[in-house]
Amino acid sequence: MTARVLTLLVLLLSSALPLAALRPRDPDAGWTAPASAAAKANPLANRLDAAEGGRKIFAERCSTCHGDDAEGTEYAPDLMGAVIRRQSDGTLYWKISSGNTRTGMPTFSYLPPLQRWQLVLFLRAGSQRGGDSNDRSFMARPLP
Amino acid sequence: MSVFRVSALALLFVLVIASRSLAQDRPYFVTYDHYLEEPRNLEIAVATTTGIPRNDERVYTAPWLELEYGVTGWWTAELYLEGVTTHGGGGAFTGWRVENRFRPWRDEHRGNPVLYVEYENLNEASRIQKEIVGSGSLPFEPIGELVEEHAHELEAKLILSSAIGAWNVSENFIVERSLSENEGFEFGYSVGIARHLGRLASATPCRLCPENFVVGIEAYGGLGSSEAFARSEQRHYVAPVVSWRVSDRSTVKASVGFGLTPTSDHALVRIGYAYELPTRRSR
Repeated sequence: MTARVLTLLVLLLSSALPLAALRPRDPDAGWTAPASAAAKANPLANRLDAAEGGRKIFAERCSTCHGDDAEGTEYAPDLMGAVIRRQSDGTLYWKISSGNTRTGMPTFSYLPPLQRWQLVLFLRAGSQRGGDSNDRSFMARPLP
Repeated sequence: MSVFRVSALALLFVLVIASRSLAQDRPYFVTYDHYLEEPRNLEIAVATTTGIPRNDERVYTAPWLELEYGVTGWWTAELYLEGVTTHGGGGAFTGWRVENRFRPWRDEHRGNPVLYVEYENLNEASRIQKEIVGSGSLPFEPIGELVEEHAHELEAKLILSSAIGAWNVSENFIVERSLSENEGFEFGYSVGIARHLGRLASATPCRLCPENFVVGIEAYGGLGSSEAFARSEQRHYVAPVVSWRVSDRSTVKASVGFGLTPTSDHALVRIGYAYELPTRRSR
């Protein structure tokens, strides 16, 4: 009995290795915010000073996947270009909060709501300044 | 090598190599929420449960080492190694556990289920009490005798967890089955509620800011088994919990659980340290 259980365990653990080597899937087209969530406005929209806190949260929680300058990595997309500009604040907030278990985007609903809105504020400000250019130096400069 | 040396080496290892973070700030010791390990991240944690029993039994300390790996976005696997030492009664390695958590839904909902399956290869001296099931007090025979009694067990949990504003609310329903003896199905529970102290993140790095602290409370206990449901024999605890992000990658947490029934210990004092090792590569 013990041998059978141990064999099952070894099989289970070894099956994890090839899965771990898989690259994340392509962007999940079905991952869209409900209309009510997408329509939400950022309560910090007039508090641009709060974006600096968002920058700090990004550096601490997001940069490992999205890159130090939010330029993206092989596991997560660029967050400073059109992909951000074409999404509403509410959509960004919903995606940060919800995460996506299929693509590996973590769920950040454990952060207080205002901190998630700070992240949205930072991404919005960064994407507007960064545009589609390759100039990422704004990441190191104070935001407005 | 003893479990204590392994734990000490692991702690030293993680303290030496710290930098930036992914730690999830989870404050609970017993209750699970729906936040899984991030894919390809390895979390190394060391913790202890110190029990202060009733009836002049010996105080014990049970350390454990925990390796948690994010296999995918919906699957987290963990390995535990655990031990025990008693005041004047010696110490021992008490076994290992392998657990898997699966989150079936892609998005966040009002209630988020996670399925949990664990295999335990322990002996009767195990004291970490990562969960409590069944009924009756812990056995307090000499450690040398208890380690001779081995137990193979399967455990399943239904984890339900919700983010309500800044609060996390989690409920775990536990069922355990011994593969070594016919003890029926044993049942247990744990529930927890916690929140960050801070609302807005400050612009500058700081370690003692409220935003780095999570406080809460959890309650856990055993509910008996399919063979016996003796309410007077059940163990129940209520425990305030606190966690502190001491660096971007590491978290310290502590709790004091107060025993609520005659078969519960007076108190369970728990301290833990977790460090998250990212294994992703940048472009």
